[in-house]
Amino acid sequence: MKKTTTYLALLLFAFTFYSCSSDSTEILEDITPVKLSPDNTPWTKLSDYQFFKGDIKNLEPAFGVLPYKPASELFTDYALKKRFVWMPKGSNATYDGDGNILNFPDKTILIKNFYYNNVLPDNKTKILETRLLIKINGNWIFAEYIWNDEQTDAFLNMDGGNINLSWVQNGATKSTYYRFPNSIECRVCHINQNKNLPIGPKPQNLNYNFSYSDGSKNQLQKWIDYGYLESIPSNINSVVDYKDTSKPIDLRFRSYLDINCAHCHQDGGDCSYRALRFEFNQTSNPANMGICQDPEEEIPAHTKIILPGRIDRSVLYYRISTDEQNLMMPKIGRFIVHEEALQLTEQYIQYLSNCN
Amino acid sequence: MKKTLLLITNLVYLFPLYILAQASCETAQVVAVGQHSVGLLNGTVPTPVCASNGAVPTTNNPAGLWYQFTATQNGTLTVSTNLPQNSGKDTRVHIYNGACGNLTCVAGNDDIGGSNFLSEVAFSVTNGGSYYIAFDNRWGTTNASNFVFTIGYGTSTPPTSRVTFTAQSNSDLTGTYRNCIVDMNNDFLDDLVTISNGNLKVLFQTPTGFNTVIYQTATTNFLPTWSVAAGDIDKNGFNDLVYGGGQGVAFVRASSDGSAYTLSSTSQYVFSQRSNFVDINNDGHMDAFVCHDVAPNVFYINDGNGNLTFNQGGLGDVSNGGNYGSIWFDYNNDGKVDLFIAKCKGNGDINGSLNQLFRNDGNGIYTNVSVAANLSDPIQTWSAAVGDFDNDGDMDILVGASSFTQGGHKLMRNNGDGTFTDVTAGSGFHNNSTTSIEFVTYDFDNDGFLDVLGGGNKIMYGNGDLTFTAESTNINNGPIGDINNDGFLDVQIGGTIYRSNGNNNKWCKVTLRGIQSNGNGIGARVELHGPWGVQIRDVQSGVGFRHMNSLNVHFGIGTHTTIQKVVVKWPSGIIDEILNPAINQTHHVNEGSTLNTPTIANTQKLVIFPNPTSQNLFVEETEYTNYQVVDMLGRTCLSGKLTSQGILVANLPNGQYILVLQNEFYQTKSAPFIKN
Repeated sequence: MKKTTTYLALLLFAFTFYSCSSDSTEILEDITPVKLSPDNTPWTKLSDYQFFKGDIKNLEPAFGVLPYKPASELFTDYALKKRFVWMPKGSNATYDGDGNILNFPDKTILIKNFYYNNVLPDNKTKILETRLLIKINGNWIFAEYIWNDEQTDAFLNMDGGNINLSWVQNGATKSTYYRFPNSIECRVCHINQNKNLPIGPKPQNLNYNFSYSDGSKNQLQKWIDYGYLESIPSNINSVVDYKDTSKPIDLRFRSYLDINCAHCHQDGGDCSYRALRFEFNQTSNPANMGICQDPEEEIPAHTKIILPGRIDRSVLYYRISTDEQNLMMPKIGRFIVHEEALQLTEQYIQYLSNCN
Repeated sequence: MKKTLLLITNLVYLFPLYILAQASCETAQVVAVGQHSVGLLNGTVPTPVCASNGAVPTTNNPAGLWYQFTATQNGTLTVSTNLPQNSGKDTRVHIYNGACGNLTCVAGNDDIGGSNFLSEVAFSVTNGGSYYIAFDNRWGTTNASNFVFTIGYGTSTPPTSRVTFTAQSNSDLTGTYRNCIVDMNNDFLDDLVTISNGNLKVLFQTPTGFNTVIYQTATTNFLPTWSVAAGDIDKNGFNDLVYGGGQGVAFVRASSDGSAYTLSSTSQYVFSQRSNFVDINNDGHMDAFVCHDVAPNVFYINDGNGNLTFNQGGLGDVSNGGNYGSIWFDYNNDGKVDLFIAKCKGNGDINGSLNQLFRNDGNGIYTNVSVAANLSDPIQTWSAAVGDFDNDGDMDILVGASSFTQGGHKLMRNNGDGTFTDVTAGSGFHNNSTTSIEFVTYDFDNDGFLDVLGGGNKIMYGNGDLTFTAESTNINNGPIGDINNDGFLDVQIGGTIYRSNGNNNKWCKVTLRGIQSNGNGIGARVELHGPWGVQIRDVQSGVGFRHMNSLNVHFGIGTHTTIQKVVVKWPSGIIDEILNPAINQTHHVNEGSTLNTPTIANTQKLVIFPNPTSQNLFVEETEYTNYQVVDMLGRTCLSGKLTSQGILVANLPNGQYILVLQNEFYQTKSAPFIKN
């Protein structure tokens, strides 16, 4: 509580200066402590960036580090996530289409922290890793930081690795062989047309409210107000939160597919050679989702990618339901089954009418 | 339990018997030709399963209904639910003969095909024969209740399949990964291997069925999720396994007597696809190769003491990987095994999907000749089937498309000069609309021409002239071998064995024990000469995409009744020949063991004396000074360095042996001798 107050005070302080300055970004430069290494290579320690103030494990953003959250999130073995964006002085992102990554300025850093609550045996919150995407000379580079057990810092590690992890979730104990990605694995999801690309920060994903420390606000508007985004069109074809049961089932399912599947299943993605196109702006065409479409890779008895009304004959349902590495989808980023997604998929397939 | 019995008793009392009669095999309702109605499916679930798609899931509350039919004539009987009034139903039917409790599958069917989930099965019956017809609820009780089926004698003869397969589930075929048929106990009979985390379960083939043994292993994070291959790493006669996992590779090694298995996980990150055992540097010791999906390929070089050293680089180095289907064969007939990689990648890196051919120049040197050979093709493929489809003495390639986005299936004829020509047009693959991740070639109908199995429940029967004729079948891709040693190839899919019913064609199998070469003779070229000319096979561990198939060499020879000779050209250069081998038999060849034929390709003569010997064996040799004495089972009995004292063989049991000499470049010479 105290920290929030301090933060607010700091913001107030900044805006006070803003009121008597003609250049708002100058204020940012004065305040933000975030720094890249002189040669633009990743720091060896997460703390070197100075993204967070106070005790680093609280992930309390320093000035200039703005939290964000896409409407629908990627599932990675139930890991919880805190995301932040930072941009350097005098620069901002520009709009490049509802479903495209914002056109970020050089030296932008996207920060994604992966953590679990109630981690056994101590039943404590544990931050496992922080993944950075840093834009250097027009290209995105990966920097993966693995947190120490003391939760006092995280250290650059591009080799990947695994840990056995158990935690309590809704009263039940869950376990996974949690995977830290290596640089090759980062690329599998983040590659498009042989170039690295972020996945989440698209207008379609950010066009909804987020609870900031100073109140709830539409994220795109917040970015504009903050000086991180130039301008946007008034109407944005937006995804929904697939967990939001008040939303129509087809929008929820299409939103789930977009954030969990589309990075590979799109033009230029790792699996573009399959006919499926799972981007939100492509799935308004049922064929792109595989509805009533023949699979190119046979799974016995599963005759269509999605066969309306028949989960037991639908490839897509099977792939979400299994944890066998060669059959499951997504093929990396998870070891265990996303039960809620499976239920959503079942609801969707039952909701569809037949192929004729 | 008591309540159920009571209920049944009451029901029997209250209703005519036939209503309940379908509840089990013992009480099967007698039916005749005609149409019959099925009510609620609530009897005993039929086993074994005689149709595709495995056991009824327990979540369906497995159930079934039973009928009994006695044939009143010889002919073809058809049982069908494929009727308009059954629209929307999803049935599965099993046909048995034999006694209740010991039923044998005759036929079965799950789906008509496509999205027609009704069932129809035709099978031969003999007058007076008794058959059980049983339905189950594989696809849910609602979908499998309240339908109509018909029984009728066929008015026309059934389609003359070149070969048919009868499905029958085997309750011992449990395990997480059921992708491997290979000999595991050194008797050269194909066994069924299922793999789980912590154990291997082997269904050993015996003349009367299977003998199932479970072997505990350590657990691993690198299970054979993507592929499995088998080969003898330590040359002890017992096959070992490589697991191609999504994040790494593990090896499982048989103990010296095959009674135990030791698993070891490697430490490097590998997104495995196809894995193979092959002697990459031809030093006589088995190496392993694993395709990497997202990085350059990896391989494990064997130092001869069973130590496998990780290597990455030199055999497919595209940074984005795209390596799916590696297949090792001798494309230029120079006696050295080459490497073709079927590739697939969609991320905009064209190199990721360009197929590659690496020519083996000896001593572990491989040269990328993809472009010169006309094989650098962007087809999105996960595997290629390699065989001599036109029996002209060189290996042709069927590059099987997994997606048609960058070109379709491509049949490439080997021109015999190191190049290949596209002969897809008119071949039967030009209009084959089935995509598959797995393409393999075998002679399923034993007609002497290689066929292709590449998904879609059809066999592309080879016509011997680089054209193929498609025929529907109940089999699909799975591990392949001869699981009942009848000379016809069988397929396993999950817990079900699809046993070939064979035909009148003749066959010949060849099994190998490498001595100077790697223990399985992988990379050996086997030729079968006869009135047809010559058929060739290359011994391979790891073909297609996922499965491990028999290491035994199988040939069909059609209606021919004589074979001129079997020639085995070993990776060592040794050539063995068997003259006038019998048809319909398996012929075993220990490397260098055939008499009256040159045992070594090396022109230098190896002089040993005396022969036969009872005490010492002397050798005139200064360069090839490392020796091994190997028995006819391929076991090394003695080894060491030559001295002027000769080799003391007095302690060996009397019998035939092979002396193998090796120089510092791993080249070998050998000669047989007799201890008496």
